[in-house]
Amino acid sequence: MAVAGSAVGLGNFLRFPGKAAENGGGAFMIPYFVALLLLGIPLCWAEWSMGRYGGRKGFNSAPGVFSVIWRHPLSKYLGALALLIPLGVYFYYIVIEAWCLGYAWQYAIGSESLMNGIDPAGYKQHFEQYTGQGSDGALFAGGISQTLIFILITFALNFYLVYRGLSGGIEKFCNIAIPVMAVCAVCVLVRVLTLGTPDPNLVDQNVVNGLGYMWNPQPEALLKPATWLAAAGQIFFTLSVGFGVIINYASYVKPKDDIALSAITASSVNEFFEVCLGGMITLPAAFIFIGATMGTVVAVGSSFSLGFAALPNVFAMMPGGQLFGFLWFFMLFLAAITSSLSMLQPVNAFLKEGLGLDKFKATALLFTVSSVGTLFVVYYSKGLSALDTIDFWAGEFCIVILALVQAIMYGWVLGTARGKAELDNGAQLRVPNFVQFVLKYVTPAYLIAILAGYLFAPSGDGKSSAFFERINDIMKPDNFVQRISILIVLGTLVMLWIMVYFAGRRWEAEGRYSKLDE
Amino acid sequence: MTTGGWIFMTLSISSVLLLVIYTVGKVLLTANKQ
Repeated sequence: MAVAGSAVGLGNFLRFPGKAAENGGGAFMIPYFVALLLLGIPLCWAEWSMGRYGGRKGFNSAPGVFSVIWRHPLSKYLGALALLIPLGVYFYYIVIEAWCLGYAWQYAIGSESLMNGIDPAGYKQHFEQYTGQGSDGALFAGGISQTLIFILITFALNFYLVYRGLSGGIEKFCNIAIPVMAVCAVCVLVRVLTLGTPDPNLVDQNVVNGLGYMWNPQPEALLKPATWLAAAGQIFFTLSVGFGVIINYASYVKPKDDIALSAITASSVNEFFEVCLGGMITLPAAFIFIGATMGTVVAVGSSFSLGFAALPNVFAMMPGGQLFGFLWFFMLFLAAITSSLSMLQPVNAFLKEGLGLDKFKATALLFTVSSVGTLFVVYYSKGLSALDTIDFWAGEFCIVILALVQAIMYGWVLGTARGKAELDNGAQLRVPNFVQFVLKYVTPAYLIAILAGYLFAPSGDGKSSAFFERINDIMKPDNFVQRISILIVLGTLVMLWIMVYFAGRRWEAEGRYSKLDE
Repeated sequence: MTTGGWIFMTLSISSVLLLVIYTVGKVLLTANKQ
C-alpha cells in the first residue's frame, strides 16, 4: 500500500485525462495499453530488480547503481538522468499540488468562485486566473496572491517532511487516505455516469458520448508517432518507471522481500485509479461540460488543467457537492504529497552518498535548486508555458530516454539471467519467462521505434517530424519562455553531471569500485 | 459510443479489475501465510 500510495498521484487524476484529451481520446487508449503491457510492467520489474541488485552491492543512488551494473566511467553520467527527471518534474509538480490544496481550501470555506452551479466558462476562467495564466508574473502582481501562499505552504511542508524524515509516517497515513480517496472517487464516478444530458440545448454533450470520446478506437490515429510517445511517457510517469524513483527505493529493499509481487501490485492499483477512476471521471465530465474542444483547454494551458476546469461543474450537481469538492481536492493533495516526497528522495540520497553531505546540507542544497526551478515555473505562468514545456522535456521525452537506457542496461548489460535471479529472490510470484524476452528484445526495439518515429517520421505538414515541428515552434520569437525552460532542464542536467563527476572521484578514492571486484 | 468502444471499454476495465483482484489477493494471502 505504501508503494501504491507513492504511485497514485496527480498523474492518475489530472495528467492522464489531459494527455488523453490532447491526443484525441480513443486514439490515445490503444497505444496506452500497448505501452502498459510491453513497456510499463516489464520495465517496472527490471527497475526493481536493478535497484535491489545495486543496493546489495552498496549503492543507493542511480549513478551508483548504474556503475555497479555497467562498470564503465560513462554509466554514472547516464544515471544522472534518473536524478534529473524527478527533480525536473518536482519543479512543476509542487505547483499543481498547491493548486489542489488551494481548491480544497476554497471548497472548505465555500468560495463562490467554485460553487456557482453549472458554469463551465466561469470555472475555466477562475482556474486561469487562479493559476496566473493571463500574464507572466500575474501571481506576484498586486501583493501576494492566495495561490502563491499555498505554493509556499506546500513547498515548505515537503521540505519539512523530508528533513524530519517523516515521509514514512505520511505513507502510513496514506494507508487510510488512499482507500478513502477510492471511496470518494467512486461517489464522484457514480455522479458523472448518471449526469445524462445536463444541458438540453446541447444534446450531443451527454455521458455516453463522453465515454465514446474516451473509448471509441480510432485506428487512423495510430500512425502518429507523437501519440505513441505521449502514451509511453504517460505510462512511465504514472507508474514512476524510468523516473529514477523506483531504482532508489528498491535499493533499500531487503534481499528476501518479494519485489516481483510489490511491483505488479503497485502497478495494478495505480492503473485501477487511473483507468477505472481518473479517466472515467474527468474525461467524460470534460466532454459533457466543455465539449469535444476540450483539447484546447489542455493545449492553451497544460495537461493538468482539465480536472480543475471541468470537475467543479460535477460537484455543483452533487448533493453535498461542497464536501465532495473539498474531499476530492484534499485527497488529491495528499496523494500528490507522497509522490512529490518520493521525487525528492533520489537526489537527496545521491547528495548524501555521492557528495558525502550530511542531512542538513543535502536538504539545503536540494531546497535551493528546486526553489529556483519552481520559482521559474511560478513566475512564467502565462499559458502555463514553462510548466508545460518542462513537463514535456523532463516528464515525457527524458523519461522515454531513461527507460530505453534502463531496458538496455537490464537486458544487455546486467543480463536477463541475473536480472531474473534477482527478481525471483524471495518472490512468491514467479514472473513468466517471456517477460525476460520482452525486456531484452521487444522493449528496447519498441522504444527505439517510438523515438525514431518521433524524431524522423514526417508529421503534420508532411515535411518536418513531430520533434522538429516542436523545435521550430520553440524557436519562434514569441516562445522565449519555452527556450528558457529547456535551458533550465539542460542546466540542471549539467549541474548534476558535475556533481556525478565529483561523486565518481569520491567513490574511486574510497575504494568502493574496487570492492565490487572482490 | 460505437460497439467497438463499448467492447474496448469493457475489456480494458475488466482486465484492470482482474489484475488488481489477483495481485491484492496474492499480497493478502502471502501476508497471512507469514
